[in-house]
Amino acid sequence: MDLTVPSRRQFLTAIGNLASAGWIATNWPQIAAAAEHSSHGAHDADAPPATIKTLSPGEAAQIDAMTNLIVPGGTTPGARDAHVLYFIDNALGSFFAAQLPAFRQGLGEFTAAYAKAYGADAPFSSAPEPQQVAFLKQVETTPFFLAVRRLTVLGLLALPKYGGNSDYLGWKLIGVENNHAWEPPFGFYDQDYPGFEPYPGTKPYTA
Amino acid sequence: MQRKTFKTSETVDFIVVGSGASGGIMARELARAGNSVVVMEQGPRLDAHEFEHDELKYRNLSGITNNPATNPQTFRNTEDQKAEKVSGRNPLTYARVVGGSSSHFNANFWRLHEIDFIERSRLGAIEGADLVDWPITYAELEPYYTKVEWEVGVSGLAGASPFDPWRSKPYPMPPLPVKSSGVLFERGAKKLGLHPFPAPMAINSVMYKDRPACIQCGLCGGFACEVKAKSSSVWTVIPEAEATKRCEVRPESYVFRIGMNKAGRATGVHYYDRDRKEQFQNARAVVVCANGAETPRLLLNSATGSAAQGLANSSGAVGRYLMFNKGGGAMARFDQPLNEYKGANVTRIMHDFYDSDPKRGFYGGGGFDARSGGPLTWGQTVPKGTSNWGPEFKEYLESYTYWMNCSGHGTSLAVESNRVDIDPDLKDAWGIPAIRVTRKDHPDDTKHAKWQVERAVEIMDAAGAKQIVPGEVGEATGGVHLLGTCRMGNDPATSVIDKYHRTHDVKNLFLCDGSSMVTSGRGQPTQTIEALAFRAADHIARFAKRGEI
Repeated sequence: MDLTVPSRRQFLTAIGNLASAGWIATNWPQIAAAAEHSSHGAHDADAPPATIKTLSPGEAAQIDAMTNLIVPGGTTPGARDAHVLYFIDNALGSFFAAQLPAFRQGLGEFTAAYAKAYGADAPFSSAPEPQQVAFLKQVETTPFFLAVRRLTVLGLLALPKYGGNSDYLGWKLIGVENNHAWEPPFGFYDQDYPGFEPYPGTKPYTA
Repeated sequence: MQRKTFKTSETVDFIVVGSGASGGIMARELARAGNSVVVMEQGPRLDAHEFEHDELKYRNLSGITNNPATNPQTFRNTEDQKAEKVSGRNPLTYARVVGGSSSHFNANFWRLHEIDFIERSRLGAIEGADLVDWPITYAELEPYYTKVEWEVGVSGLAGASPFDPWRSKPYPMPPLPVKSSGVLFERGAKKLGLHPFPAPMAINSVMYKDRPACIQCGLCGGFACEVKAKSSSVWTVIPEAEATKRCEVRPESYVFRIGMNKAGRATGVHYYDRDRKEQFQNARAVVVCANGAETPRLLLNSATGSAAQGLANSSGAVGRYLMFNKGGGAMARFDQPLNEYKGANVTRIMHDFYDSDPKRGFYGGGGFDARSGGPLTWGQTVPKGTSNWGPEFKEYLESYTYWMNCSGHGTSLAVESNRVDIDPDLKDAWGIPAIRVTRKDHPDDTKHAKWQVERAVEIMDAAGAKQIVPGEVGEATGGVHLLGTCRMGNDPATSVIDKYHRTHDVKNLFLCDGSSMVTSGRGQPTQTIEALAFRAADHIARFAKRGEI
């Protein structure tokens, strides 16, 4: 076993096959270290989707504008920075394909309602942001908006291989570090934990 | 290792249907006792490296669970309604993979307490429910709880809880390291005079039985363990069963009917192989360990002329008394980061409110724990009063590492009309009649869950939370603890199996899984299911040896 190559598959297979208990015990620090630097999915090597294949350019522009209002950019990453649009396009073309007809119908209704409110000359995506926000507030309880919102959150936080969470920006936003394994202390409150104190009348015992 | 295989034309001693928490143990014990065993598993066999840290796949796309697209179910609250297909996740969810739901469990391993087995005698009848005593006691099951802890592998601290039932041995491993949620839960509960203690978990805290210690990746519930630290059947008893050279685990083998002869004996099982070709495996006896949803479904789909209402169903109890575990809790935000995405999900629990207390005015008891959820699942919802989009939502997302859950896990009462049966119209992708679920919570279950929400809020408040979001208690629309649907009992008129897990109606047909449970326990049934499997296997092996099958 070549411990200098931190391949997730190699290390997990090595652990899984359990060459011997002694081998594991001897090599455990290296295994844990390698696992920390390895990735999460079996198909990590595949490049994530980075083109629009399902939505039309016009549709994509509307959805992109919506996602970036749902999780805005700025000093910290937003949905657009995390390439959430690629996730949504990939999802609706594959594992959520069954939702595409309803999604398209919803987008059509969204577009029509916007045109009715603000005119058909320019789409929602090219409107000034205050106008976009004002319109989204009008439709924020519609099934279509809620579907886009759900897909935005999924795209922000699902693994990058699905198209969003590019460079793990979504995880960075919420404070999740991209490692495979951890050691205590995990957070602020367990760092100075003095140990479990037995209750009067109890006698905890170990093997 | 060269794995043993059997031809379908061979008559093996036992077929075990299901390779999960009970099926794996059953297979190992029967094979070690000298029997030939074939384990039939609906799902594929995956190696450790094939399990991923992919929350979307496992929590949203039925990665290793029964998929509503291919294994649909219908749901209704009462029998006068038409059951409808449910979108998203199936009402009754389980893992469809070698190792079954033990592959994706959270690994909370709580023993039942002595009271669980005798509540009817202690509390009397409860209106609208069918609360009965178990035909066995805690004392009869205790050696097998210990066997689970040592043979399968459980970490914990024996004697730490003043409310623990007696035990014959300590845990073989010390508890897992505490997380911030555990520390805060402990702080809050102790301030209220309660007694939280280190959680018993079926996760290695140290190297044990040639499996490594937990690497604290943080993704237990819903995920299979990629380093084999979680004591799932696929990493523990299944390889040991195969090492006997008398056991074959046959993945992607979907049993849809139990074969019967005119003498009323089981002859084997009909199943679809991985090419969806129908096969028949001969056997001297069949043990169904397919979980509380699929076990009754298989019996009901095995109806014959002489058992028109389903196999082993002369009592009419097959599929009835479906119980989940209802509970209520609260989410809480603290001043500093907890980083709950790191570390095993649960590190502290509490059993002060385990027993049902008539003073509360309703039946119900349970335990509490401190736990966490994955970020993708967490981000789907927001607390009341927080915008679900825009800058305020983004700020909420950025607070992820400051939150934890204080969760209550409790009882569900057995109600005869709550059931699994066969949908009259719906079939799955193999053409097998699908499950129909009829379920409505008993009012006491809801009252108890709401009571638990109040206790969770108190604990988090005492812990110093800066924001607390009480959980909402609604009508259960499904579950993952699938219990009670082929209950054990001494009376063949009111139960499906006897105290040795033999069906009252068919001498060489046994059932052992969550369906065997008579009451629901307090939320974490897997250790009991595994203890029952060790005990049942002991008896079944003895019956086989004596020619009593």
